Amino acid sequence: MSFDLLAEVCERVAATPSRNQKVRLLGDYLSQQTETNLVRATRFLCTQPLPTEVAFSLGHAALRAALMEATGWDLETVRLCYREVGDTGETVGLLLHNATRNLPLTLEQAEQEYSQVFAGRRTADRVARLAEIFLRYRPLSLKYFVKVITGNFRIGLQERLVEEAVAIATQYSPEEMREANHKVGRLPDVARAAYRRELHAVQARIFHPMEFMLAKPIEQAPEITSPQEWLVEDKYDGIRSQVHAGEGQVKIFSRGLEEITGAFPEICALFSQVPGTLALDGELLAYRDGKALNFTVLQQRLQRKSVSRDLQASIPVVFIAYDLLHLNGQSTAALTLEERRSLLIQSLPEGGLVSAQKSLSELASLDDEFAAARLRGNEGLLLKRRDSRYEPGKRGNTWLKVKKVFATLDVVITAAEQGHGRRATMLSDYTFGVRDGERFLNVGKAYSGLTDDEIRQLTRILRGLTHEKYGRVMLVRPEVVLEVAFDGIQKSPRHKSGFALRFPRILRWRTDKSVAAIDTLETVQALYAATLE
Amino acid sequence: MIPEIDLWLDPRQPKANVWFSHAHSDHATGRPPKVWATSATLNLYRLRWPETITVVQHLIPMTFGIPFAWQGARLTAWPAGHIVGAAQLEIEKDGYRLVYTGDLKLKQPICGLSTTVIKCDRLIVESTFGLPIYHFLDHQAARTRILQFARDTLADGATPVFLGYPLGRGQEIAHVLATDGIPTSVHGAMHKFLPLYEQAGYTFPGVEAYSAQADRGRALVVTPGMRDYLEAKGDHRVAYVSGWAALANARTRSNAHELIPYSDHADFSELLDLVSATGASEIDIVHGYTEPFARILRERGFHAQAATTETARTEEAEA
Repeated sequence: MSFDLLAEVCERVAATPSRNQKVRLLGDYLSQQTETNLVRATRFLCTQPLPTEVAFSLGHAALRAALMEATGWDLETVRLCYREVGDTGETVGLLLHNATRNLPLTLEQAEQEYSQVFAGRRTADRVARLAEIFLRYRPLSLKYFVKVITGNFRIGLQERLVEEAVAIATQYSPEEMREANHKVGRLPDVARAAYRRELHAVQARIFHPMEFMLAKPIEQAPEITSPQEWLVEDKYDGIRSQVHAGEGQVKIFSRGLEEITGAFPEICALFSQVPGTLALDGELLAYRDGKALNFTVLQQRLQRKSVSRDLQASIPVVFIAYDLLHLNGQSTAALTLEERRSLLIQSLPEGGLVSAQKSLSELASLDDEFAAARLRGNEGLLLKRRDSRYEPGKRGNTWLKVKKVFATLDVVITAAEQGHGRRATMLSDYTFGVRDGERFLNVGKAYSGLTDDEIRQLTRILRGLTHEKYGRVMLVRPEVVLEVAFDGIQKSPRHKSGFALRFPRILRWRTDKSVAAIDTLETVQALYAATLE
Repeated sequence: MIPEIDLWLDPRQPKANVWFSHAHSDHATGRPPKVWATSATLNLYRLRWPETITVVQHLIPMTFGIPFAWQGARLTAWPAGHIVGAAQLEIEKDGYRLVYTGDLKLKQPICGLSTTVIKCDRLIVESTFGLPIYHFLDHQAARTRILQFARDTLADGATPVFLGYPLGRGQEIAHVLATDGIPTSVHGAMHKFLPLYEQAGYTFPGVEAYSAQADRGRALVVTPGMRDYLEAKGDHRVAYVSGWAALANARTRSNAHELIPYSDHADFSELLDLVSATGASEIDIVHGYTEPFARILRERGFHAQAATTETARTEEAEA
């Protein structure tokens, strides 16, 4: 089947604002595919060019070089065109208008072309290969061929939608598809199983990360009628991660399902000798003298591919396990939390840490326990039902997290970007900053907390304030004031202020407050300093 | 080399002797005492004036291809494919020919004449879409897309809404819809120009001025300012017919569901073709991507320069 048709379907997906319509269009397309092509098309839609798990990347500079080679346009023109368009794939398609041989492209050929590009060892080889490809196929197909490489379709298409489209194509329910995908974490593999009517047999595999089960956030202690059914533990401010171990091998995966094994040799050493196999859910923490250190400290470890002994000594890291996903070749997800915990404790290697759990009914007051957790250097509390199953990717009512707002800041919007899906035509993602004398320095970006009505109003206002445009991003004059809540502050090179708020969310749009009265960089510095104490 | 004839081309400031290339308000602006333009342009221009105002103006209608003598030069208007009445101006003096294009395209417009390419020594040309990313539909393809969007939307029980500027695009879309039998309402600002489009030979069977009470089952052609009002009524789907619709980010900028890249300006390849076809040895670029387009032309061996606002003014003054 053809990649050309996939590109046309994506154009129609881009053109409709309706989520259902997008899913239906893709589902119809996928349902016409053979097994191999269903897997290929799903992979492309998940922006994975190749079947291997190795992440190949090809930078924008290389893509631009190939485009210059194919079209003869100079760097300045290509740059300017990119600035107007805002997307590399689209720029490629537009600049190759009437310049290619318009040969048809099948899904199989597309895969071959990708593997030949990535087979090139030097960037120059890859660029040369891409330039040839650029002159061969239809511009519309090349647009999406490149979007698969750059990793963002920009047509309001999240993995959720592709998941539902695969469900339609294989006649499973979206729920069944989601559940299977959460276990496996690789939609193309799930699509293959679905095509073979084997979706229910899909199992989490050791050394392949699965989605994490999530807790529903609540700002205050809930009214719980049967406290004896709930367990309470501290919510750590570390890196949620999975440790998979067995047969002399250890792999560690982050919340984003990225492998981060190399940064934590002491954890690998601890788990390298476990008998059988196991996969754990838990938290990596920088930890000294029985107390967790600030998240920023831990981050210095995360960014390393390998870690020196000195760094291991100066920032010691522990893994605190709190759940068991897999044991000796069997998934434990269907067991109750209590059953999983008892197996977890039995199977941990010597020196392994496990989170402390208390019964909610034993606690005098949840508020006091929350304060105690904060004193222990932790973020808040988790409440989990004793009988809860491990449901990957779900945020249900069986796990709750009590987090109190760290602080709020009044900030000003400095840039706005269009949203996705229902909000695709609105400016719903806001970058915001604090005041530093006459300047405004960014401290974060948020896209939740306002109603659609407010976003619509803001969109109109922000368009009027736009003074510069970089593709989808509009730089605006700093006039709109928001109050944001967040869970912490860390150092960040991403923003000019040098700080980034953690999990910022918009509390309200402050029409009553002037830009002159918003919070300053000094306030941010003081809040950060307080977290280090 | 430039004929010194005291004539201003589409000036933004009030001047004595003025050429209007066409009736868009960014070109035909102010109330200069003496104006040359085609008669269609003069009629459209006068319609913008409140009836109560009297200005002493000498409006000189030009006929295509018939030269007019002025201060030792010959001025000739030639068709420009843009909106009804649009014209290029050829200025010939002592055997030297300068052409000012105004706004135009090479493709045939839905309403209005096709561009006549005039050989000249010096060309003053616009570059609204002077980057190689801009490719536009021809009038046939645009017609098909406009009709398909209107019919599909009506078939779904929703109201198709086309956004367009009051003069030019609005009448073209209304003409396409109405002559294909689709009941159409147009915004009052567009409706007032219909009689002049009819004089030019374009029909608008059954087209009515927009009324909020009777818009069900009809296609609407309105100004961009009405978008939010109509969206609030629900069940409206918006098409954006414009050169800017060639880029996907127009979806955010216009909030439109359907992007139809059809323009009354030349796209990039038309601009290149026009420049080559005139044979001009000197080219001045006056609007849009002036610097980049001048650079692209220079790399192709043309003697081209971007006229900044300041130089454009002095050149206009010299002309």
